[in-house]
Amino acid sequence: MPLRVVYLYRNLTRNLSRTLLTCCAVALPMTIYVLSMAVIKGIDRFLDNSAKQLRLVVGHKTSIINPLPRGHRAKIEALDPTHQRIMSICGVRWIGGTVQNEPHPLSTLAVEPDTFAQTFSDYYLTTEEMADWQRNRQAIIVGRATAQRFHWNVGDRIQINPSVPPYTPFEFKVISTAPKAIDPITNICRLDYLEELTKQAVTIVPEDWKLQGWVSFFFVKCGSQADVDHFRVAIDALFAHSPDETRTQDEKTFINEFIKQQFDLPRNLMILASLTVFVAIMAAANTMSMNLRDRMNETAILKSLGFSGRVIFGLIQTEGLALCLSGGLVGALTPYVLFTYSPLRNFTVPLIQTLEIQPIVCVQAMGIALVIGMLASAWPAWVGLRLPVISALRNLE
Amino acid sequence: MPESEIELRDVRKVYYKDRIDIPVLEGLNLSVPAGEFAVLMGPSGSGKSTLLHLIGGLDSPTSGSIRVADSNLEQMNERELTAWRSRNVGFIFQMYHLVPVLTAAQNVELPLLLFRMPSSERRKRVATALGVVGLGDRMDHRPNQLSGGQEQRVAIARAIVTDPRMILADEPTGDLDAKTSEEILNLLNTLNTEFGKTILMVTHDPRAASHGQRLLHLDKGVLERDERTPARAPAAVS
Ligand SMILES: Nc1ncnc2c1ncn2[C@@H]1O[C@H](COP(=O)(O)OP(=O)(O)OP(=O)(O)O)[C@@H](O)[C@H]1O
Ligand SMILES: [Mg+2]
Repeated sequence: MPLRVVYLYRNLTRNLSRTLLTCCAVALPMTIYVLSMAVIKGIDRFLDNSAKQLRLVVGHKTSIINPLPRGHRAKIEALDPTHQRIMSICGVRWIGGTVQNEPHPLSTLAVEPDTFAQTFSDYYLTTEEMADWQRNRQAIIVGRATAQRFHWNVGDRIQINPSVPPYTPFEFKVISTAPKAIDPITNICRLDYLEELTKQAVTIVPEDWKLQGWVSFFFVKCGSQADVDHFRVAIDALFAHSPDETRTQDEKTFINEFIKQQFDLPRNLMILASLTVFVAIMAAANTMSMNLRDRMNETAILKSLGFSGRVIFGLIQTEGLALCLSGGLVGALTPYVLFTYSPLRNFTVPLIQTLEIQPIVCVQAMGIALVIGMLASAWPAWVGLRLPVISALRNLE
Repeated sequence: MPESEIELRDVRKVYYKDRIDIPVLEGLNLSVPAGEFAVLMGPSGSGKSTLLHLIGGLDSPTSGSIRVADSNLEQMNERELTAWRSRNVGFIFQMYHLVPVLTAAQNVELPLLLFRMPSSERRKRVATALGVVGLGDRMDHRPNQLSGGQEQRVAIARAIVTDPRMILADEPTGDLDAKTSEEILNLLNTLNTEFGKTILMVTHDPRAASHGQRLLHLDKGVLERDERTPARAPAAVS
C-alpha cells in the first residue's frame, strides 16, 4: 500500500476513540439530512399528486374548524349546469377516532358516499369495491398502513371510537384497504352513517353544535386546470356576504398550508439538519486541531525533511476529509440500507407513504460531509502550513 | 582548490525578542570542503544549533551570505529552501524524532514521498539505507520496539535515503550511552569515508569530537578555534 495511504490510516487510528466519536458526530447530521430529504420528497410527491387531481378544497372563510352547510354543494354544482367543468363535489367531515386500548389517534374522514369514488378517483376503487361501498352503510376504506398495523383485512368488522359526538363506538365493515391510494393512513367512511348514529345517540342537541347537515370541507373535482383557476374565485364570490363565507384553494396549496400550520415539517427538518451540520463542523474541527497539536513535533520534523507547507497542508486536509467522509458514508448509508432492505421499509409517515431514500440524496449528503471536512481542517491545515520549523524544533529539544 | 561545500561569509544572526536584540552569531566566516567531517563544539547557548539550522536552510541569516551545495541560501525563498533541503541535506537530531505509528521502513521511506519514483526503486532505497545502518532485519519494527541506538540508526537511514550531499547532526549521541554512541559515530565515519558525505556534527562530548577530522569551537557568536584533530587510530576505541 502506498506510504501516503498508510500514513493517513495510521494517523486516523492513533486515537481510535477520538476518530470514532468524530465520525459519529459527522454521521448523525447526515442521517438527519437523508431522512429529512426523504420526508420532504415524500411530501412533494404527495403534493404533486394533489396538483394532478384538479381538485379545489372549499372551507370556511374564518377557520378550518368552522363547518359549512351541506346545502352549499348544490349551490356550487349550479355554477356549472353542463357538469363538464365541475365533475363532482364531495363533502368531507373529520372524525379522527381511536381504537379500543390504543392511544394513537387515527385519521378518519366521513364523506358523502354518492360522489366519493368520482371525486377521489386516485383511490382507484374496483367496481366490486364501489358496489360494496354503495350497498353497505357501514362500509369503511382503511388506509393500507393502518390496516397492516391493526391486522384488518377486507371483510373484517371493526370498531372505531370517533373523536367527535356521539363518541360512542362505531361498527364498520372493511371493504377495501386502498392499495393504490397515495395516502396510506387515512380511513374513509360514509357521512350518512355518521349522521344516522349521531341522531340515534344524541337526542337533545343544541342547533349550534352543527352535527347534522354540516361538513368540514367540500372537495370539488374540476375538468381542467383552467376550471380550477376559474372556480377558485367563482365559488368564494358565490358565498360572499352570506352567513357562511368560503375560502377556496387548490388542493396542493391547501395541503401545503395545512402542513405549515400544523408542524411545518420540511422547514423544521432543514433547521434541525443545518444545526447538526454546524455541530459536526465544530466537532470535526476540534478533533483536527487536537490531532495537529498532538503531532506538532512530527510536523516540524516532516518540514525539516523537506516537506513543504503545501504538502503538510494537503496531508492535514486529506486527513480531515477522510475522517468526515467516513462519517458521512456511515451516516448516509445507514438509513439507506435500513429503509431499503430492512423491515423498516414498511415504516409510514402521515401524508408520505413509505420513506423512500434516493441514492442521489446519499450522494448529496457525502457532498455535505466533504464540505464539513474541508471547513473543519482548514484552520489546522493553515497552522500546519505556517508552522515555523525552527521554533517547533526548539520546543522539542 | 576544490570549491567548498559550505561557505559562510560574514554571517550575522540576531534574534529579536521582547524588543531586545539578541545577537547570536556575529560576523561568522566558515568554509567546509566537500567530503569533510567537521565537529562543532561550544558552550550551551553559543549558537551551534542556530548555525546548523542556517546551513540546512531551516532559518535565514540576518545578514551575510551562505553558500551550501552550490546554492546561495540567503537568496532563496522558503519554498525553494524546502525543495533544496529535501535534495541536499539530511538532518539527524538528538531525540531521533521518528513517527511512532510507522515502522522503521516506513519512517525511512517518508522523505521519498517528495520524489517521483517507481515503488520498486523506493523499496530498494529503503532497504539499502537500512542495510547501511545495520538494521536490515528490523524493517517492520515500530520505534517503540527499538532501542535508542537503533532508533537513531533509523533516523540516520531516513537522513541518507534521499542520498543527500551532506549530513547535519545536532548532538546525535547526546542521549545515548558510551558504547552505543561509539557505534553511531563509527556509522557516521563510514558515511563520510565510504559514501563521501560531508558531515557537520554538533557535540558536547570530546570523545565524539575525536571522530571528526576538524574541530570548530564556537563561543559567544564567533569561531574561537579551528583545528585539525589528530588522525584517529582504530585502537583509540577502548
Ligand atoms: N527564537 C529565538 N528567539 C530568541 N532567542 C533565541 C531564539 N532561538 C535561539 N535563541 C537564543 O540564541 C542562542 C543560541 O541558541 P542555540 O540553540 O543555537 O545554542 P546552542 O549552542 O545550540 O545551545 P545548546 O548547546 O544548549 O543546544 C541562545 O541564547 C538562545 O536563547
Ligand atoms: Mg543546540
